[in-house]
Amino acid sequence: MTRYDWLLFFHVTGAFLFLGGVVVAWVLGIAAALRQRPSEIAFLMRLTGAAAGAIGLGMGLTIVFGLWLVFDLDAYELWDGWVIAALVMWVLSGALGGAGGKRDKETRLLAQRLAAETDVPSGELAARVRGPIPLALNVSSSLLGFAILAVMIWKPGAGG
Amino acid sequence: MIATVRPDSWNLPLFLHILGATVLFGGVATVVVLSLAARRIPMQAPLAHRLALTTLLAVVWPAYVLMYAGALWIASREDLHPSFPTWMVFGVSVADAGVVVLLVLTLLAWLARRRARAGAFAAGLSAVYLVALGVAWWAMTTKPGA
Repeated sequence: MTRYDWLLFFHVTGAFLFLGGVVVAWVLGIAAALRQRPSEIAFLMRLTGAAAGAIGLGMGLTIVFGLWLVFDLDAYELWDGWVIAALVMWVLSGALGGAGGKRDKETRLLAQRLAAETDVPSGELAARVRGPIPLALNVSSSLLGFAILAVMIWKPGAGG
Repeated sequence: MIATVRPDSWNLPLFLHILGATVLFGGVATVVVLSLAARRIPMQAPLAHRLALTTLLAVVWPAYVLMYAGALWIASREDLHPSFPTWMVFGVSVADAGVVVLLVLTLLAWLARRRARAGAFAAGLSAVYLVALGVAWWAMTTKPGA
């Protein structure tokens, strides 16, 4: 295997961890939004920690090995339009996902507190777990992640 | 460097194939997380097992179909018959065996709602399949023997 093969493998591994983690977070997040009891919501939201770890590691691998590939290959340049577009989307996806994750953490802490107290359904918790702002942040972040995948495949503006 | 010489007409099937593969990976990872969580927190096991089964039916199977359909579509354009290259044998093996694994996994996830032991097997099998998917994407990206 050549150096290019290894760089591409770790770059693609990062993409799988990133996008796979997004899928895990969505499944658990939707399931949590459909529950009423704080203990169940807290349980599901706690599991999203594994997804957040995979997303963070995946984003790190994609950027490190993606840039390494760009610098290593003569065919690509850092100022290629599709590379810049991917970098901008990567930053936006991380920022939006980070903001959504921060709100999700606050919701999880509220769910854990309510579960430890009475564990009866709460209007405040329901409003938070189904709130439009974290939903918009997480949807935007996820769509940007999959849009990066499309840019990586189509490479708009690249020669060849 | 297939990425630089790939015809544009391969982009859509490749995108669908990789989209399906990433969602498949995420769906199976969700099943692993839920199956392990069910063992660690028995009080939430019924919820975790129910959600694992729902994930298999609503996420994993559709993603598998998308991944496989994308693979068939792009393979039909590559004119690789009659003999597959080594790297493709890895991918085809994992993809084809995936039907059997996912059928068994779905059965185990269904049984796990009543039998804890089935949940343990589901956790193990889904973790093994996750590793197999990793081997497949290693072969697909590095193309050993190409």
